[in-house]
Amino acid sequence: MTGNVAVVGGGIAGLETAVRLKALGWNPIIIEKSSSLGGHVAEWNCLFPDLAPADKLVKELVDAADGIEIHTDTEIASIFYTRKSYSIVLSDGSRFMCDSLVLATGFSLFQAEKKEEYGYGIYDHVITNRDLELWFNTGSDERVPSDPKAIGFVHCVGSRDIKAGNTQCSKVCCITAIKQAIELKEKFPKAEIYCFYMDLRLFGRKYEDFYIRAQRDMGIHFIRGRVSEVSETIDGRVFVKAEDTLSGKPLRVSLDLLVLMAGIVCNRENTTLAESISVQTDEDGFFRSRDNITHITESDRPGVFFAGTCTGPKTIPETLAEARSAAISVDAYLKSLK
Amino acid sequence: MDFGFSLSPSSAVNLDRTDMSLYEMLCDREPTARTCIGCGSCSATCTASAISGMSVRKVLLGIQRGQYREVEKMLSHCMLCGKCTMVCPRGVNTRHLILELCRLYGNSEGEL
Amino acid sequence: MRERFASGFDPFVIPFLIGMAFVLGYCLFGMLRIWFQLPRKDRRKVVLSLITPKGIWKNVKDIFANCLLHVKLWKRNPVLGYMHSSIAFGWFMLIVLGHIEVWLFLPERLRLFYYPIFFNFFVAESESTIQGAVIFFLMDFFLLVVLSGIVLAMIKRVRSRIFGMRRTTNPSFLDRIGLYALWSIFPLRLLCESFTAHISGGSFLTLPMNWIFRQFLGNSMNALPTWWAYSIALGVFMCVLPFTRYMHIPAEMMLIPLRNAGLHILHPRKGFARLQFFSCPGCGVCIDACPMSAKKENIKDCTVYLNRQLRRGNEERIEQISDKCLLCGKCTAVCQVGVQGPEMRIAQRMLRRYAVNQHYTDIDPTKFVPEGGSSAKVLYFAGCMTHLTPAIGRSVRSVLDKAGVGFKMMDPDGGLCCGRPMMMAGRREQTRELIRINTDIIRASGCNTLLLSCPICYRIFKEKYSLEGIRVVHHSVYFDELIKQGRLKISGKTLRKLAYHDPCELGRGCGIYEQPRSAVSAVGTLVEAEKNREESICCGGSLGSLSLSYEKRKDITLASLRNLTVADPDTIVTACPLCQTTYGNYSEIPVKDIAQLIDDASK
Repeated sequence: MTGNVAVVGGGIAGLETAVRLKALGWNPIIIEKSSSLGGHVAEWNCLFPDLAPADKLVKELVDAADGIEIHTDTEIASIFYTRKSYSIVLSDGSRFMCDSLVLATGFSLFQAEKKEEYGYGIYDHVITNRDLELWFNTGSDERVPSDPKAIGFVHCVGSRDIKAGNTQCSKVCCITAIKQAIELKEKFPKAEIYCFYMDLRLFGRKYEDFYIRAQRDMGIHFIRGRVSEVSETIDGRVFVKAEDTLSGKPLRVSLDLLVLMAGIVCNRENTTLAESISVQTDEDGFFRSRDNITHITESDRPGVFFAGTCTGPKTIPETLAEARSAAISVDAYLKSLK
Repeated sequence: MDFGFSLSPSSAVNLDRTDMSLYEMLCDREPTARTCIGCGSCSATCTASAISGMSVRKVLLGIQRGQYREVEKMLSHCMLCGKCTMVCPRGVNTRHLILELCRLYGNSEGEL
Repeated sequence: MRERFASGFDPFVIPFLIGMAFVLGYCLFGMLRIWFQLPRKDRRKVVLSLITPKGIWKNVKDIFANCLLHVKLWKRNPVLGYMHSSIAFGWFMLIVLGHIEVWLFLPERLRLFYYPIFFNFFVAESESTIQGAVIFFLMDFFLLVVLSGIVLAMIKRVRSRIFGMRRTTNPSFLDRIGLYALWSIFPLRLLCESFTAHISGGSFLTLPMNWIFRQFLGNSMNALPTWWAYSIALGVFMCVLPFTRYMHIPAEMMLIPLRNAGLHILHPRKGFARLQFFSCPGCGVCIDACPMSAKKENIKDCTVYLNRQLRRGNEERIEQISDKCLLCGKCTAVCQVGVQGPEMRIAQRMLRRYAVNQHYTDIDPTKFVPEGGSSAKVLYFAGCMTHLTPAIGRSVRSVLDKAGVGFKMMDPDGGLCCGRPMMMAGRREQTRELIRINTDIIRASGCNTLLLSCPICYRIFKEKYSLEGIRVVHHSVYFDELIKQGRLKISGKTLRKLAYHDPCELGRGCGIYEQPRSAVSAVGTLVEAEKNREESICCGGSLGSLSLSYEKRKDITLASLRNLTVADPDTIVTACPLCQTTYGNYSEIPVKDIAQLIDDASK
């Protein structure tokens, strides 16, 4: 027995699991395909509901992971199961044996250009939630006008949509849209901001307060109706068609910026990974847990565990809690091997 | 007895007294009708909506609320272009739904 | 040759005579019925087409090529082609040669109907046989040809896969009786003629058999019962023929002249439509061709089953089958007799009675007349579907600007529907009304060219609108012209492999296959799908289907995508916004419209 645990993915779930495993006395090895740690969270500016800076969270986790073996720009080249341990070869040529495997492969952001009727990549002033966060970080994106008079948010882009191949709710977009709307309103106090939603799902603690703040203090308009078509006016503005379902009337509005709340979809690489170690994925492409109540972090295969959004959309606190839970499960499993 | 004026009927929806038979018949013929979440995509994109106020969402709601005359008016302007079917996030087969409803109307009007 | 019986008659011919009288009477009655079901205008058309030598020649040629030689089937599947033409043409030659024999040797018996069929029973060889040797040889030769066809038919029944058919139809009970009767006719004929060959003469097939039989069988004893059996088999076949798929033999002979006269299906069950469903041979070629058969549950909804249900009058199934179909037209493209699957189904949909009938009388066309100077002679109608694929509309406008074409939009903020979806639903009144309003708008715009980026619109504008003086053109054709005329400069030709998908309405619907390919070749490397052009496979998104829900179309789209990507393309190119959206939902590789490609590659 080596005491090695391979952690696939260096996002917040992978980092937190590795840190906890290290504290429990095991030897985690992080394998991250990109060149930096922190995953999607590292791209974000600040986080709901307290507007805490995202880079602080990532930095804390990376700092805590000091001393852990980390392979960035690396993928698993091959993996074999041999007598209660896994033999792993990485794309950088290194190889090692481990007793357990934690999959923290995360999610992919829905490709908004696939919903062509929204005009992402076609019109000049249509961006995604991710683009907006990057703009918050860098301040440079020529699609964001300097003095917008009207801004729209489209909820559920690629979520709850059979045509987009994802019928699930992405869970975090409603609250993210409200967060981003508030931030934009603070930057552009004169702009009218409209959120187009099908259902507002603000389930977490303090989320509703956030919603109230957006309505009362920020004057953000919430319109219940899904945007069906976006076109461009002659002067280059974005023209949105929706139905105001509460008044039952067609609604038309021209905007200077349209933000598409791209949803959480499965990481496509899950399928190949799942095949190579024979764990299951569900129809939606997320990993299948042993059950969805008591063993979310466990797979059907002994020694293989899940952490974070590779088993479905989750908020950051949920992801972190699950990462710790996965670490405890791994600990129990490794002790049982002794 | 005619008092020379009429009391306006209650504007509340009373589900105890609502006749859902037309809706049920429709759902038998086009089961996807049940999955509508009323997002309004169909109405927003509708080619006929500018002319007639056509809205598949309102049609579906209307037959569950006894607004048969309004529904009939909306249906009578549909051009079957299929845009609503294309944008529906739940995959409701709206074109078939409209055609079936147009057929069913005569059947049930006697009972309604 | 001399006669063996002075009367020239034997009771065994009675079953044959009954069958013959029945089938002739039935067909004559059926023909007259169909003829009088045709509208007067159509009958005139047919008569006019039949009095010109050119028309007659075309009909004779088509009947000979399709009904006897099965030329179309040969091209598609040589083994099946041989099987069918050997039986049909061989049998035909046996009948013709039989008549020649009678005409040569006993011309006075020519008026007896059965005589040429049973010639060998009634005659005995005489000194003048030398004249008959060639004919005897030919008779045996064609009998052998037919028998080889029958053997193939038997093998096909057991193992259709050998013939390249993945799926074939299930014959009905009467079909089976007809089938077994047909199978037994020719072996029985061989036996009959072999038993009598030493009397009436024979050739390489019948004489040796006669010799073998005579070694251990009393020939004269067996001859008469076998002739009886032969006659009964013929009689049974002809009596069940009208109620089986073999009805296609006489029906097709009438269908060909009517089709050549340019008739259309006007009534769902009468006249031309009736003739079509009786002309269906039930071969099942349409099953493998149908895009819906990607899912097993849809197999019984193919055109061959529609025809069967129409013959049986099973209203419930007729409605299900005709509502489900995508109207892609693939079955017609592969059909050996040319049954028009989509038109038949649209006609069935016309039967429906609706309590709510759409009307557009209160639409004011003047409100939709595009503004803009009269200098812009090109009117661009994006149509409903292009409004959901803004990249296409944007590319079309950009290409027109680059080429310096003055144009105006007919529906910048959404216009009316072209009427094709309404027509597909079988609602003629409503379609006519939409056509009328749109025609008014187009006329009032003062354009001389109507440009369309959606093949669904293009087809109805081309087929049903009367827009004399206005050119109706699809953007793929128009852009190809702009490139060829040098008005549009292609600067960035890519080396990427582009697989072109023929949209049903543009390809099979309007016969446009080459111009889009030429345009695609101008901007990249064109690769073909496994099945392309006339045999391209519907994307599954078609508005033609009324009852197929989104989820049930998935397998159709996936199968179509597999067909498109055999050459491992980098991008899928199509010329229809609906195809693009449908593929876009499932495709792993990018799906683009031809307009986007041209826009990207031009300056």
